[in-house]
Amino acid sequence: MTCEEFAIAGLDLGAPEQDGPLQRAAREHLRECPHCAALHENWLTLRQDLRGLGAETAEAETPSRVEMRLRQEFRRHKTVKTQRAAFVLGWGLAAAAVLTFAFTWMNWRMHRSANVADTPNVVHAPASNTSTAPRPSTDSDSGEVLLASNNVGDFTLLPDSMPPAPEDATIVRVQMQRAALAALGLTVNEEHAGDWIQVDLLVGDDGLPQAVRLPQTVQQSTN
Amino acid sequence: MQIQAHETDDALLKRSAKGDERAFTELYRRHQAPLYRFAVRMTGSSWAAEEIVQDVFMMLVREPKKYDPDRGTLGAFLYGVTRNRIMKHLERTPRDFSLDDAGDACRESHPQLHEQMTPARWAELRERREQVRAAVMDLPSEFREAIVLCELEEMSYDEAARALDCPVGTIRSRLHRGRALLLAKLEMLRDTPKRANVGRG
Repeated sequence: MTCEEFAIAGLDLGAPEQDGPLQRAAREHLRECPHCAALHENWLTLRQDLRGLGAETAEAETPSRVEMRLRQEFRRHKTVKTQRAAFVLGWGLAAAAVLTFAFTWMNWRMHRSANVADTPNVVHAPASNTSTAPRPSTDSDSGEVLLASNNVGDFTLLPDSMPPAPEDATIVRVQMQRAALAALGLTVNEEHAGDWIQVDLLVGDDGLPQAVRLPQTVQQSTN
Repeated sequence: MQIQAHETDDALLKRSAKGDERAFTELYRRHQAPLYRFAVRMTGSSWAAEEIVQDVFMMLVREPKKYDPDRGTLGAFLYGVTRNRIMKHLERTPRDFSLDDAGDACRESHPQLHEQMTPARWAELRERREQVRAAVMDLPSEFREAIVLCELEEMSYDEAARALDCPVGTIRSRLHRGRALLLAKLEMLRDTPKRANVGRG
């Protein structure tokens, strides 16, 4: 073993980590080299001092005030955590309630519009025999009648019907196939029997149609 | 809830994370002393060590999930966190090691020794210890921690390597260089002609 090797491994003499042959070589070198022997002796003294230094603080512990502070912090943190959890839970519940309400409302709306789609397209207007009443406004692009005319003068009385008193009658706009007019006792052109037409019905106070009118702007769809 | 002596650190930490103060206190009592001693020996200041240990356990209170049991024991994890805190402390603080502070600590920890010795012997011993302490404090931090762990705390190389999360070879090399620096520094300080009287062969 050279002095350089001893400087690296020799100071560990006696350490359990060092293997046997290395220790033997180090001991042999120690006997032969006074320089390394002095170095080793210095190291042993220093190690003793280091161990003594370690022993001075071997029983040292953190002051009890640290434990107190930590326990206080632990309690404070626990409270904050609980409050935060309650806050999050509260907002979560509120959000869930809002979502549930919104979902229910949308569902109800969709259900309702589906029901409306199933029923005939009906527009009510009070009947009047005055011709000064406003004419129905129409959307020229779509050809759709937005409001039924309340002029009863141009209605055709259904067979076996008496003209109702204007104040008791209601004009009801319905969409039906032309063939359905036959059920009201009217003659229907068979070529156009399948057409969808809008019809204004003059309904009496008994709920039965008394007269019928085909508005000028009839939406004829082929579906 | 009662704390069982054999209850593992992991179990205690789980209970602590759920708000069990007694579990946290037990964990603290199990680990505070070695961490504090390591911090005192590394920083040379009981105040700094106190702050560091408090910081480490504060972290455990606030972020217990930082500890991953699959990566090692809680003790090793706390050692690692303490080491990081110490390094940060050493980086931002100038070397303001106070001999008086250390001397007081020494006197407090060994009053019986102080009483048994003659004043002259005590003064001599104290002076030598202070020189050693100052020399240790003057070492670069990576060599210092190797010296502190393997010489002051008398850990094996394996234990030190686990504590510092580095290979055993690194510990050996740091220890070797740390010892060499210490010897050189103390030789300069003491100016003892030890080599001269080594006449054996």
